[in-house]
This record gives sequence, structure tokens and C-alpha cells, in this order.
Amino acid sequence: MAAMQKLGVANLNAGSGLGLSKTDEDVPDQFPAGLRVLVVDDDMTCLKILDQMLRKCDYNVTVCPRATSALSILRERKSSFDLVISDVHMPDMDGFKLLELVGLEMDLPVIMMSADKRTEMVMKGIKHGACDYLIKPVRFEELKNIWQHVVRKKWNENKDHEQSGSVEDSDKHRRGTDDAEYTSSVNDANDSNWKSQKKKRDAKEEEDDGELENDDPSSSKKPRVVWSVELHQQFVNAVNQLGIDKAVPKRILELMNVPGLTRENVASHLQKFRLYLKRLSGVAQHQGALHNSMCGPVDSGTKVGPLSRLDIQSLAASGQIPPQTLAALHAELLGRPSTGMVLPGLEQPVILQPSLQGPKCIPVDHREVTFGKPLMKCPSGMSKHFQPAGIAVEDMSPSGFGSWVPSHLSSVGNPSISGLSGPQNGNMLVQMLQQQQQQQQQQPSPLPLPSLVEASHLPMNVQSSCLVSPSPPPTGFQIGNNPFSISQNAAVLLRSQLSKGLQAGGAATICQTHPVYGAPAMDHMLLPHSNTLPLGVGQVVAEGDLKNAVMQSGYFHGSPVPPAAVAAGASPCDGWRGSALSMNPASRLAGFVPNLGDAHGSARSTAALGGAAELQGRNLGFVGKDTCIIPSRFAVDDVETPPPEALNQNKVGGADDTGRAQQEIHLGFMESPKVGNPGLPHFSPGDVMSVLSK
Amino acid sequence: MEVRRLQRQYVEFASSLFREGFLDEQFSQVQQLQDETNPDFVYEVVTLFIQDSERLLSELARSIDEQPVDFVKVDAHVHQLKGSSASIGARRVKNACLAFRSSCDGNNFEGCLRCFQQVRNEYSLVKSKLESLLGLEQQIMRAGGSVPTLKC
Repeated sequence: MAAMQKLGVANLNAGSGLGLSKTDEDVPDQFPAGLRVLVVDDDMTCLKILDQMLRKCDYNVTVCPRATSALSILRERKSSFDLVISDVHMPDMDGFKLLELVGLEMDLPVIMMSADKRTEMVMKGIKHGACDYLIKPVRFEELKNIWQHVVRKKWNENKDHEQSGSVEDSDKHRRGTDDAEYTSSVNDANDSNWKSQKKKRDAKEEEDDGELENDDPSSSKKPRVVWSVELHQQFVNAVNQLGIDKAVPKRILELMNVPGLTRENVASHLQKFRLYLKRLSGVAQHQGALHNSMCGPVDSGTKVGPLSRLDIQSLAASGQIPPQTLAALHAELLGRPSTGMVLPGLEQPVILQPSLQGPKCIPVDHREVTFGKPLMKCPSGMSKHFQPAGIAVEDMSPSGFGSWVPSHLSSVGNPSISGLSGPQNGNMLVQMLQQQQQQQQQQPSPLPLPSLVEASHLPMNVQSSCLVSPSPPPTGFQIGNNPFSISQNAAVLLRSQLSKGLQAGGAATICQTHPVYGAPAMDHMLLPHSNTLPLGVGQVVAEGDLKNAVMQSGYFHGSPVPPAAVAAGASPCDGWRGSALSMNPASRLAGFVPNLGDAHGSARSTAALGGAAELQGRNLGFVGKDTCIIPSRFAVDDVETPPPEALNQNKVGGADDTGRAQQEIHLGFMESPKVGNPGLPHFSPGDVMSVLSK
Repeated sequence: MEVRRLQRQYVEFASSLFREGFLDEQFSQVQQLQDETNPDFVYEVVTLFIQDSERLLSELARSIDEQPVDFVKVDAHVHQLKGSSASIGARRVKNACLAFRSSCDGNNFEGCLRCFQQVRNEYSLVKSKLESLLGLEQQIMRAGGSVPTLKC
């Protein structure tokens, strides 16, 4: 029960009967009644019996005799299930394959079952991520207990989230919000958000327990290794040198040549990296990715400012890896900030100082152009002067900036929304969607609006973002990184749009919008003493966000698209962090993404951002997984014309001022379920391919 | 009176099935799953089992007739049969399947043939037993009685 109480409300779907109540105290008596279980087994006899057994448990049962159709059901309605039970041996698809896909795409708990009770089979199930392995014949008693896996998974995710801001977070949050979409209760959504927030704060307190590698229990005993940007870059360089397929921890370690780093550290990082690439490959194909990256980076971008001193260091790093990639990787590998608010004076984790010499050989032509100047100005050697530790503690003051920026953005966006100041994310999205200049001018933003000219400074931001270094507590850290990708993207987008005139109807607007994004970061950067003012502001905002989060949700609720609203509102609740991180359900983000991506018409940004966003959009992709190309991850450099459909979508969104935000959201939302679907109407694999190949 | 007699007969027959190992406690579970919301549950499950098994047995027969025998394929069929027989609690079929699988593992064609015969026999036996049992159930129901719950 205690565990149950700890669960974020959003995790369990109140709408479908699972319904944990919003308050910690009362968990509905009926739980686990209503647990939504999908059973996959080609054995009709067994399926029939399981169906009845599960019904006897008062679960909400869906049976499916084919693994392939189960997969498509899950892809379309992944938030409609809490648990999957799958047979191992199925003619159309190996149960382990299904398990793997489900684990990667939906992150639902999966129970494997088979008449095959050989230890190696059970082991295989565990290795593939099964949360349980039932030997056939499955007994009623065993099924009565399976709800625990749902609880445990969510609980663990919460823990992971708190501790390391792991990739899982995004899923968790996404699911939470997804679930919310089936609920019409504003309270639920608010509540969950609030809870997440609270959890994060709690996490903050326990953050020295933070585990970088969630999936490696043993690592808890070892000193925490912080994968700073440089360190990660060295890692990536090593992997590139070896080739992703041949990269083994030992060789990578040798190439990296970082004292103190162990093979285990590298191994687990490699594992995450591979997972990341895998997922990214799927995500990159979906436009949704763009959205994510945009949102995430923006928030974090804020952080850049405080880190300005470190710019040089970051500069060194910037040229070598596409910023987006870095940001994405960082977000993914380094973990997102676990707390909504960053506390000053965070503890310094053990930091490995990477030797800065490694070959930086990531193929990003575009990058070089963009960031060429900054690099020139800042000798890479400079970076060595900076002590990562110092940076994190002194300069970061992440919370202030992070929150500050979002709020600013929100004000820029939809006026009505801006009043709520809380929802950075939502506002940001709205803002992004804005296609009219006037609105931008009308905004009551506390700071002067950034002009396009400012875009030129963006590279600077990027640099700073690189700074990565000392990984501060999960929170601050990540933020620093993300900004990077954002500003870059913004810059890129601006240029591409200006020079190439790729935009669709909303192009002009977009250009303006972007500067805004970049601007906050810039301002911070430019301010030598950014800590002082911005910080204070940011904090205030952050607090406000928490309070306002509820309002935000409520506001959206009235709208036709409650789920989207929830998503948007939810992230704000968490503070800036939420937006960048996984707070938003992938589906929601996905919805936004298409619009953004289309508007910008920058395929490249989509792909690149996809990386950054990847965290949130983990589920998004998997369409044509195989199609993905490694280069795209590292550097997709060309700006592409948006698919026509996308443009159309965008226009639709812009048609109505008032309802525009919601409309677009709605559109996105509607499409999100199809993300996994190869038949995605407006973004065919072919498009992606062409984009990426360029 | 007729009902009592049928019920007694049912209990005796069912008990013998458990005693002789045709059925095991899994079948009891299946019986217990039947309720007013699903009054034909056992019948439906048995019907599914019979359909499934006959399909698998004919595929098995085909696979075994092929030359050379694809033991992996045979094993896959046997595995499926084992799964469904285990699910319904047809113990002797399940046990025959276990032996069958070890013959497959050893690529033992002779053993496979023998086991196949055995599986087929056991299946035929349990099928007729189940049909008898279900027939008795229906008689009891028609006579207005309720099917006694069984303990194995």
C-alpha cells in the first residue's frame, strides 16, 4: 500500500477504472480491479482460459492471438494498457521480440509465459526485460498478483526519475499524461503534476543517492560517474572510431583513456547509448521529434546563461559534435534534471575529467559552418582552464534561469495562457505555434524581445551549453546541456528560413518566434552577472509555475483537447525541467512537433532535434526503425522543405486565433497515436529518408 | 432422482479421470472459472482444445512425414500442443509431449515416431473422456440439476 501511495496519480488511469485517487491517502479499494491487461497468445485454448482467469480477477482484459496485431494495437493505444502478458512461442513473432519492442516503445510491464520452463528461457525473458515469467499452465493464483508489476514498474520509474532523471522518466510522464487523456478530471492531471513536482523536490534532497545507471544495480556502490559533455564526446569519438557495431567497452575505454573511468562505466554508458541510437532511429523519422527537441531544449537553454563563463569550454566541444546530438545525448545519457527547481549549491558529483585531446571527428558539416566563429574565437585549449566542479556550483544557478526563460516564453505566447505564467511548456508550444508577428510584439515579456539579429549570438549559446562539464545534480546539469541544442536549432532554423525561404504559411512567424527562444539564453549569456538578476526572477517564476500549473490545466481542460492541455500544463508544473524532460507524454509532444517541424520546414532540425527530444518522444518513433541512419543522429545538416501535408496542418492550426493553440495541439494529439504507424499520413518514411540522406 | 444419479456418476467419472492422470488440477481451475456469466466456459475451452489439438496433430503428422524431418518444426508443434494440453489440464497428453520433445531434441526420428503415436493416443483418450464428461454435464443440466464441483 505504501508503494501504491507513492505512485504518481497520473500513472494509473483513473478513467479506466484503475484509478488511484489523487490523494495519497486513499487508494481506491477496487484496485487492482480494472487493470488493463493485454494478453497475447497464439494458443486459443490458453488464451480463452487466461481471458477468463483475468476477468475473474476483475481486470480489464483484451486478448490477441497474434503478436503482430498485438503490437499494432499497442502502438495505436499504448496508453490503454497497464500490462502485457505474452506467450513466448508464437508463429508470427517471437515473444521476446514483442517484449523487446514493447519495452522500447511503450515501456509497459510485460509478463512472459511459456510452457517452456527451462532456466535459460526464463533467463532470456528476464534479459529481454520481462517483469515476470509464468510457466504454463498459468494458475489463477499467479494472475491475481500480477498487478504488482504495474505498481512496481511505476514505482521504480518514479525512483529512477528522482534519482537520475533517466530515460524512463519520459515514458513515465508520458504515460501519466496519456492516461490523463482518458480522464476528464482536471484534478487528476493537476494532481499528478503536482505530485511529480513534489517527487522531484524530494528527489533533490536525496540526490546523492542518485544513480546514473538505473539499470545497473551494482553501480550504486561505485562512485558516480558523471558523463559530462566532454566525457561523453570522448566516448562518442571512441565509438565512432571503432564503429558502432564494433565498439566494445574495453576498446572504448582504451581509446578514451580517462583515468578513473572503468569498463563498467563505459559498458553501461554504451548500453544506454545504443538504446538511445536505436530509439532515436525510430524517432528521427517522425516529425514529432522536432517538437520535443524544441520544447526540451528551450527550457534548458535557459541554463546556458548562467554558464556563460564556461562558454569557452563548451566551445571546444561544440564543433566536434553536432549540438543537437550532444544535447540529445546529454539529455538521454546524462539524465534529466530530476528536480523541478534547481537548488543553488548543488552537490558536486564525482567528475571525471576527460582529456580533451581525443580526435573529434563527428561528421557535421553544417555544424561547422554555424559554429565556426565561436570555435575560432575560443581555442579549445581554453576549455581546460575551467574546472567543471566550480562551474556547476557557482555559475549554474540553474533553477533561476531555467524557469525564467520558460515564463518569458509563455508570456510571449498566447496572451490568455501567458497570464498563467506557469506552463512554460504549454506556452512555449503555443508560442511556437504563433504565426503572427503582432502577438509577439504584444507580449508582456519582461525582457526586450530578441531580434533576429540576436540569432547571430546563438552560436554562443550553443557553446555554453556544451559546457556540460561537471555534472551537477541531475537537474542543473542537464539543463546546461539542452540549451545548447535549442539555441542552435533556433539559429539554424532562422538561417535556413531566411536564406532559403522554405517556409510554408507560417514561416515568417516562425522566424520571429525562434529568436525569442534563443534570446533568453542569449541574454543570460551576455549578462556577466546573470546569476543575480535572472536567477531571482527565475525562481519566482518557478514557484509561480507550480501554483499555476493547476490553473493551466484547468484552462486547457475546457478546451476540446484535454489531453493535450494536460500535457502542456503538466510540464510547467514540474518547473522548466518538466518540459525539457520527459514530463510530457510523447504523444502530446508529438502532436506539437509536427506543427513545429512543418513550420520550420527543416527536416534537419527535426532529425537533430529528434535526438534531443528523443527522450520524451521515446515512443514516438519506431516507424521504420531500420531506416534510420547513423549520420542523422550525429549531424543532419540540410534544411528540408516540409512535407506539404505538414504545412497544411500548420495552416489549419493558425486559422483560428483563439483556438489555434488548442487546435494545433489537437491535431498533433490526434496523430500521436499513429506515430508508430508506418502509414503516418503526413510524414512518410520516404520523406524522412530523403531528408536524412541529405 | 435421475439428477442425483447423474451427479453421482459425474463425480465418479471425473474422479477417475483425475485419478488416472487424464486430467489434473488445471482442469479443476478451468471448471472453477465457469460461472453464471460464462456458463459454457468449460465446454468452450474443451472445444477449443480439441480443435487446436487436431490441427496441431495433423500438422505434426505432415511434418513427420517429410524427409528429412525438420525436428525444429516438429518440436514447435509439440511445444504448442504441450502448451494447450497443459492449459486445459490434459496431463497425459502433456506428459507425452514432454517425451516427444526430448526425442526431437535428440533428433531421434524413431523416438519421434513413437512419441507421436503416443501423443495421438493420449489425445484420443482424453478427448473421448472429456466428451463423456461434458455429455454428463449436459445431461445433468437438462435434468435440472447443477454440476457438482470437483476436487481433484
